Formats: sequence, structure tokens, C-alpha cells
Amino acid sequence: MERKIKKILIANRGVPAVRIIHTCRDRKIPTVAVYSTPDRLAHHVRVADSAIYIGEAPPAESYLNMQKMIGAALKSGADAIHPGWGFLAENSIFAQMVIDAGLVWIGPPPKVIKVMGDKMEAKKLAMRANVPTIPGISGVTDVEQIKKWIKDEDVSYPIIIKAAFGGGGKGMVKVESDDGLLIALEQARSEARKSFGDDKLLVEKYIERGRHIEVQIVADEHGNVFHLYERECTLQRRNQKIIEEAPSPSINHDIRNEMCFTAARLMREIGYTSAGTVEFIFDSASKRFYFLEVNTRLQVEHGITELITGLDIAGLMIDVADGKKFSFKQADIHPNRWALEVRINAEDPKNFSPSFGRITRMEVPQGPGVRISQGAYEGADIPAYYDSLVMLIMTAGSDRDDAVRVMDRVLSRNFRVEGIKTLAPLLLSIIRHESFRRGEFSTRFIEEHMSELVSMFKEKSMEDEVLKIAKFVAKVSALGPQEWM
Amino acid sequence: MQPGDIVNAVRALDGVAFTSTGMRDAGQSDYKNRHRIYDLVTLAPYYERMNIFSAECHGGARWHVGIMNRKENPFEEICLLRERMPNVLLQTLIRETNLWGYRPYPKNVIEYVVANVDIDVWRCFSFLNDIRNMRAVADVVMKRGRLFQPAISFTQADWATNEYYLKLVDEIAGLCGGMDEIILCIKDMAGVGSPKRISSLVDAIKQAYPELVVQYHRHATDGLAVPALLAAAKAGAKIIDVEEDALTRFYGQAPMLTVQAYFEESGVKTALNREEAVRASQKIRDWIKHYEWAESPFKGFDHTVTAHKMPGGAFPSSFEQAEKGGFLHLMPAILRVMSLYNRIVKYFDVTPGSQITWVTCSGIVNKYAKAKGEAGVMHVIDLLARFVEEKGQEFGAMSLEEQDELLTLFRNAPGDFKNLILGHYGRLPMGWPAEWVYRSAFGDDWEEKLKERKELSPLDTLPEDNLEKIHGDLSEHLGRRPTDEEFILYLMHPKDALTFIEFRDTYGETPMVLPTNVWREGLKNQGDKVEFEFWGKPYCIELVSLGREHEGVIHVVMRVNNKTRVYTVETPRAKKVEIRMAKGQTQIGAPINGSVWRIGNPQRGALKAGDMVHKGEEIANLEAMKMENAIIAPFDALVREICVKLNESVQEGQLLFELKKL
Repeated sequence: MERKIKKILIANRGVPAVRIIHTCRDRKIPTVAVYSTPDRLAHHVRVADSAIYIGEAPPAESYLNMQKMIGAALKSGADAIHPGWGFLAENSIFAQMVIDAGLVWIGPPPKVIKVMGDKMEAKKLAMRANVPTIPGISGVTDVEQIKKWIKDEDVSYPIIIKAAFGGGGKGMVKVESDDGLLIALEQARSEARKSFGDDKLLVEKYIERGRHIEVQIVADEHGNVFHLYERECTLQRRNQKIIEEAPSPSINHDIRNEMCFTAARLMREIGYTSAGTVEFIFDSASKRFYFLEVNTRLQVEHGITELITGLDIAGLMIDVADGKKFSFKQADIHPNRWALEVRINAEDPKNFSPSFGRITRMEVPQGPGVRISQGAYEGADIPAYYDSLVMLIMTAGSDRDDAVRVMDRVLSRNFRVEGIKTLAPLLLSIIRHESFRRGEFSTRFIEEHMSELVSMFKEKSMEDEVLKIAKFVAKVSALGPQEWM
Repeated sequence: MQPGDIVNAVRALDGVAFTSTGMRDAGQSDYKNRHRIYDLVTLAPYYERMNIFSAECHGGARWHVGIMNRKENPFEEICLLRERMPNVLLQTLIRETNLWGYRPYPKNVIEYVVANVDIDVWRCFSFLNDIRNMRAVADVVMKRGRLFQPAISFTQADWATNEYYLKLVDEIAGLCGGMDEIILCIKDMAGVGSPKRISSLVDAIKQAYPELVVQYHRHATDGLAVPALLAAAKAGAKIIDVEEDALTRFYGQAPMLTVQAYFEESGVKTALNREEAVRASQKIRDWIKHYEWAESPFKGFDHTVTAHKMPGGAFPSSFEQAEKGGFLHLMPAILRVMSLYNRIVKYFDVTPGSQITWVTCSGIVNKYAKAKGEAGVMHVIDLLARFVEEKGQEFGAMSLEEQDELLTLFRNAPGDFKNLILGHYGRLPMGWPAEWVYRSAFGDDWEEKLKERKELSPLDTLPEDNLEKIHGDLSEHLGRRPTDEEFILYLMHPKDALTFIEFRDTYGETPMVLPTNVWREGLKNQGDKVEFEFWGKPYCIELVSLGREHEGVIHVVMRVNNKTRVYTVETPRAKKVEIRMAKGQTQIGAPINGSVWRIGNPQRGALKAGDMVHKGEEIANLEAMKMENAIIAPFDALVREICVKLNESVQEGQLLFELKKL
């Protein structure tokens, strides 16, 4: 059924909200932003056509509050909601509420979200579709259950405890031995409850030095399920990705084809529509991949797939929501370049400790081969309540070396943030690291090389040095000759 | 050029050569060493063509004042000067075992430091004229092929005879294996040698060692520098220390253009390129006005220096201390006490001796002033004058009451005075002071202390330092590996070096880049700007507005290369919120920045002070960006104090719990 969306409310903030608004602008669709108290002056509010206040800072009172979100959409006259990523993006109840309120849900069908959101169910479905899966158990409630499984199936540590409805690294705890089991279980349970409102857990064997590779899928309501090739998301810290690239440097042509077709097959089987991702873990030693999960949302790193394919995935989501049929076929998708993304999080690059505060200066990278996805502007405050993502930087080139070269230029000479700390120095160290350049790394690369990476931080930049001088001039101008002089 | 070649070139010179002290002693004597390399380096192009023997640009107190007050490091200075005047010999002044500090360093430290400083001419003096103490410096300098310039500290006193000095010159000849690779310096640091006296001394030395090149260093304090320099030159001194005329005040060296004119008229040829010297002097007028604040409050020549013997370098700093301490009015009394003291304990008033003299004598005068006012000061001067001038220092000739008083005179003297008379610095030039001085300094313990007195040089008695360990300490302080230069700064003055390094980490190259008026005063009015070049590119900082103080902060708005920036400067009145950081095992700190969303754990509920916790138990949980971080009890313990409140935001390392081990 063809529809025509007239006004979209973006149920999100920061980088994802701004990203969706850009595509809406391209299509001349008016946008509505939502904001909590500390976000009154946030970037996404500035770039939207209108904005509606939805509550206090804690997410439960604003960005996670479904009633308020629907109310805001109705009040603003929006006829569709795009959830972005995070917050309510993979909440099937919310998706259903949107539809029940007579609005268009820009995303996969609620029942698909529900099934795939339950990791135990998802895994069963994958097994039924002949997709390889990792050994594990679901419905975990106590330590004895885990110990029994370890004994029965002869599993060796480490294992990982995950929120059944989780994602984005929250509610995931790796356990190395029996001793840490109880605390880990408690932590995972509590985080799961807090982040996803459900404390169901599952436990899996942890694949050491595995690589995260995911396949981007788009599907319309007319039976077209296409893959847009894969992304490598192996570089993570605390289970959160910080560098992604497309295509993956770890797989060959045959594995790529097998993986992409497996993903498309699974998504077809479950009746997927809109954009989504099938995540695999790839064991480079055995050259085997296992199903990890389906992300029933637009992902942070979708931009690099857009860069290599030339498609606008957020736009395709709107097309699908409009009931349109894809105007291209699988055979039309020809990635012809390499793209790299780094996540600029407001964190101390030495220890990932969050760095809140005001961005006193921000110089946004420019030049050939660069795409920026910005969530905050110069002068903005980074509130402590939400995700620490400030900006995504993507670069593209004809091959991997090219894309890395551009990223090196951007991170070392082009990009500048003052007032808060960001991961930029660490990201630069990583892309300059020999192992990264060779494409040899695992999900544990960062923890294993942390001190080496920190020692590679550039000591001095000319701009920083000049600011030190200015700081002194300010001090002496204000206070006069110093006592020690 | 090898040292021998340099010595031969000077020997062959028709007339005399000059060493300019414009970059070190001139600034030390009249401007408290505050001349910044930023300004001094403007003289380098003239020095390069001035045809001077050497530029004294390093050492003495310039090193220490550099890191404390100018925030410059001596290595940067050498580097800049080498680049701008590659053909000029760079000269330092070093205090034998005390190097550029105030106390003897162990031999291995001396060797390490001297081997790592790129200086051509090493003038080395001893405030005790204890030539033995120069051995370590001499060995390293001569082995490196650099020119060693031993100096004999000169004063005019009844005991400081030609015979006394000739004995020292003999010792130097022994130390240096003859006189062909060294230049001998006569160092008149107070400016007290009369023309006749200096003529006689140079003549005596030249008769004993006709081939020896003698350099005369003299301060101008007594007003007789110019004739004394000519007398020395006529008697055979080949190199004379002078400074640029525009720098001269009262306590440094004589003005070079004046000296040149006077010498030439008197038939002594000079090697100076006068035109360039005139230009250098003119250049100084561009910036010397920025240093008026650093000049001594006590101005004018002072012929009484021949009695109190305060050296040129100590003049401005002593007066500065007196001013700060609020006892400037006692200066005449202190100088008088110094003139009596230096006849009781005999050594040379030059660093570190001059500091010992100053602290000891100003301490005595201050003590009497506090106890009995002006009358007390008069009384102690009378007492000492009677003892020294009337009774010829015969202790028994004083009344019992006076004896008792003398026996407490040095009781509160500084530790360095006590170390000095116990031989920690080396041998005193005229032997140890009289027994009563020890009784006065040490009271009942004096005999015990006397047994500890050392006859050997500190080079032979001081145990070596563990350089590796010191390097490790510094790394720990800095949280990074120090550079070689930072390590040497730390070896010299540990505490001040740390402050210096911290300053430079915060303010970078500021001291090397800002013009002196901005360095000291900042930008004053709206629109004032400072332009400079840095790492090959132009920069401009312009003041937009200066806020009023509000709650301890001042907002400064500036345009840095046209971009507006707001700086928040804390005034000394800023309220500091003190955050307690966890230290040691029993204090539990926050592992990250975050908020404390739970104290205790779900099983036991909230924790309170006085509760017992078990090893491995979760005692609190921090949340940051939705990630949880459990705080685990490291041992069975009693909770002494919970130092944060629920939902409080905490910093990494902030104290959360104070536990008591069970």
C-alpha cells in the first residue's frame, strides 16, 4: 500500500536525530525534534523544523517515555516516527503503540522486533534457518544453572552474560572464572533492567579474538530482501564499537558471499522489512562465522555502507515505510570503494572515563573524502545522562590504505575539540598501529594494546602550544605580575 | 679549537681581549638575574661580530633563577645562543662541588652533569679557595676538550697576601698538569681590589708563571673598577671582564666602551670591534626599560664594600630579601656586622659563602632587633667591634658576661653555617675558626661535633647518589619519562625543577616567546595585542575585554589569531572546593568519573558507617553513561566512613570509603 509521509518526528537526540533530519531535508519532509530539559539548546533541536519538550533529563522521563513520545507526535501533527538508534529503536511495544496511534512506524514490523529482541528466540530462529550459532543457554536466573551448563556441555571460560533484550554493549559482562560469576550476573541483570526494562539473561561461550562482522540488509514490503554487503566492527572497547570499516579486511570473496546470502536468507525467513543488520562473530582461526544477533534498527555505522554503495539507507527506510518498492535489484549493488568510521566519544582516551562539560571549541574536519555526522556544536554542553557520542567521522578512498590515509589527516590535522576530552588521540593511535594497518586485530585488540596505544599519543600540537601561551597572557592580564617573578 | 690552541691565541694577542658578562653577571649583579633570554638573544648578532674572547651567558645564579623566576631552562638558552652566535665561546660560572646549587653534590652527580652541558669555557671557583674541590669538574671539562678556567677568589684583607695566592696558583698548576691548557681567573666578586693591590698580585703571578694567561674579573661596587682593570692589564692580565655600557649600574662589571677608550689612551691595545659594541649597547636600550623593577633598591657605588665585602651578585637579592622581610632599615647594621663577622670566620663572600654570611649576620641582627629594638642592634655591634677591633679576638680578654653572650651568638645560625665550620664544604682558607665559635654554635655538644669535623674534600667524603633511582623518582613525579635535560635540572634543584616542569607543561613555550612587558604585565587595555612568531608561523593575541572579579574569578576575553576565546582566571581569592582523593590501601577511590547510584548492594541493602563488609562484596556502584562499575571490598573490613552521598557525582580517584581492615 503506497502512503505518503508528510511530517516525521524523530524520537531521538544527538547524532542519530541529526542524521535522520538530514535525509528528511533532502526529501523536503518537515521534521519534529524532541528534547529533554538539558537538551533545550541541543544540536538536533536547532536543525529540526520544530521541537517539542518531552520531560526531565533521566531517559525514563523523556527519550524512553513512550506515551510522551506518541503524545508529542500527535500534538505536532507528525504522521510518522523514526526512532533513530538506541532509546526506543528496538522496542516492539513502542513500535506497536506508534501504529496503534495511527502513525507510521519507520522501522521493521513490531513482531519482528519482538522476536529478534529476544536473543534466545532469535537464536532458535537462526538455528531453524540453518544459520550457524554459538553454544549457549538462555533464561538464566542463577549461578548454578550456568555452572551446570559449563559442566554438561564441557564449555571453558571465558563466557559472556548478556541481556536477552540487550544491545549496544549494555548488559553484557564477560566472566573469566567461577569466582566472578555472581557479581557479573548481578551486574548484567541490573544493567539489563535499567537499560532495557527486562532482566532476562542468556549465557554464551565467549569466542576469544573473534571478529565482529555484520551484514546490512534492506527489505521492502514487496518481498525484496537485499544485502548491502558487510561491515567490520571488530574494534571495540567494553563491547562498544569505536572503529568500523566496510568492506571487511578479514574475509575473502567466498566467505563474504556466503555470509551475505546467509544473512539475507535469514531476514527473508523472518519476514523482515526496512533496514536491519545481521551480526556475526567470525573466528579467524577456523574461518567460521556464527550468528550473533539481528539488529532491528538503523545502526550507528550505517554511513560507511552508504559511502561504499552510494545509497541512503535512512531514505530507503522512509521509502519502505511509504510502502514503495525498491527501484534497484541485488545485482545493482556494486560497492566500489573503502570506507572507515571512527566514533568521537566524549571520553578520556586513556581510560574511557566519561568527559562531560562544554565544548568550548570545535573545528569540524573537511577536505576530500570526508563525511561528518555531528551531534553537538561548538558551545554545546555534553550532559551526563546520555550516550557519549559527539560526532562520527567517516572517510572513504579507493582502497583501504586510501581511506586510512584520509582518516589520519583528519584526526591529526583537521579535527579539534576543546573543553572536553575525546577518543580522538586513541583512534589516531589505532589507525596508525601496524596491526591495524595489516588488518590483523580482534575484539580484544584495544585492551591488549592499550599502553602501547597510549604511548603513541602525540605529545604536542602547535595549536595546543599556542593556547598555552594565550592562557598565560590571560592569567597575567587578569592578575598582574606573578609572585614568583 | 682545542684549549691549548685557544690559550696560545690569547698569548699571541697584541693587547688584551674582553669577555662580556652582559648575558650573565651584568644581569645578576644589578637586575637579580631577571634578564630573559628573549631579550638577551637580540644581542647575539652583535656578539658574533664584536670580537670578544667569550660571552659569559650561563651558570652562577642564572641557572637557578632561570627555572624559578624566569621559567627558562639553561639548555634552551645555550641552544638559542649557539644558533645565533655560533662563533662565540660560551662561558659558564660553576661553583666547584656546589655546581650551580648551594651545597656539595656527590662526585658522580658532578661528573654526569658537567659531561652533559654544552659550554666552551668553564670558569670554576671555590668560595673557600679549596682547589681540591675543583678536581671532578676539571677532570671532566679537560677530558671533553673544553677550556677549563680555574678562578681564585680574591679579597683584600691582611691575610690575603700574594704568598697565599701564589700557593693556590701552584696547586692549580698541579691540578691541571701545567698552565698550557688553562686560563687563570682572578675573581674579585665584591669589587674591592685597589689598583695597586691587583697590579701587585698579577705581577707576582706572572713572575712565577710567565706563560700563564690571566683573566681579571672584577665588580665595580667600590667605584674603582676602571683604574683597577687597567692596572691588571698593565701588569700582564690578557683578558678583562666587561659589560655593555647600557647595562652598567653599580654592582656589575665596568662598561666596555669606557674601558676600551681608557685602555687605548693608556697605550694598551684592545681586540674589541667598537662599532658592534656600540650597536649592542644601543640594542639594550630597547628592552632594558622593562627591568627597572628588578633593580636593587639600594643604588650607587659603595666604597664600604671593602669592609663588608658583599659580592656584586648578592647585592640586589639581599636588599630584596630585606625589603620583603621588612628589615630594609637594618641593612647598614647588617653590613657592619658582616664586616666584623668576616674577620672571625674567614672565607670568601661568594656563593654559597655569601648566602651563609648573609643569613647568619641578618639573623643575628634581626634577633637583637626583635628582642631589644635599636638599642639591641647597637649593643651587638659594640660587642663584636670591641671583640674584633679592640681585643684582637682574644676571647679571654672579654668580660665573663661578654664571653657568655658571644657563646650564644651562633646558636641559631643556619645549618649551612654549622656545616661550613664542620668542614662539609671543604677546608677554610685560613684554617678553622677559634674554639669559642664552635662552643657558640653547638653549645654543650661542641666537643662531639668537633670530632666530626672533616679535613677531606667533599669529593672524597660524600657518598655517590643512585642516579637510576633519582631518575625513577622523577618519572614517578611527572607521570612520564623525563627528558635528559629535565633530569639534570632535577639533580640540581629537585623541588624547584618540579615546579618549573609543571609550569612548562601548563604554559608551554610562553617564557621563550612573549615580549617582556607582556610576560610581566599581560595586556592592559582593550585592543592591546601581542604578535609573535612561533614554530615558523605568525600569531596574534589581542585583548577584547577584561572582566571584573566576581566570586573569585575574572573572565578574560581575547582574540587568538582572530578567534574569540574566553578565559576564566581564578584569583587568589577563588574558593576551592576540596575533593578528598583516596590514598593507601584502606581508602577506596572511584575507578572512573561517574555518579554513585548505589551504596551497598541488593542483597544487604544500603551500607552505613560501622557496618562490616566482606572481601569481594560489592559495596557501591558507580554509573557513567549507563555503564555500571561495581566497587568491591578488597578485604574483610569495618566501614569507618562513607565519604560520598547517594547520587553524588564523583571524580576518578575521589575517596568513597574509609575502611578498617579486620
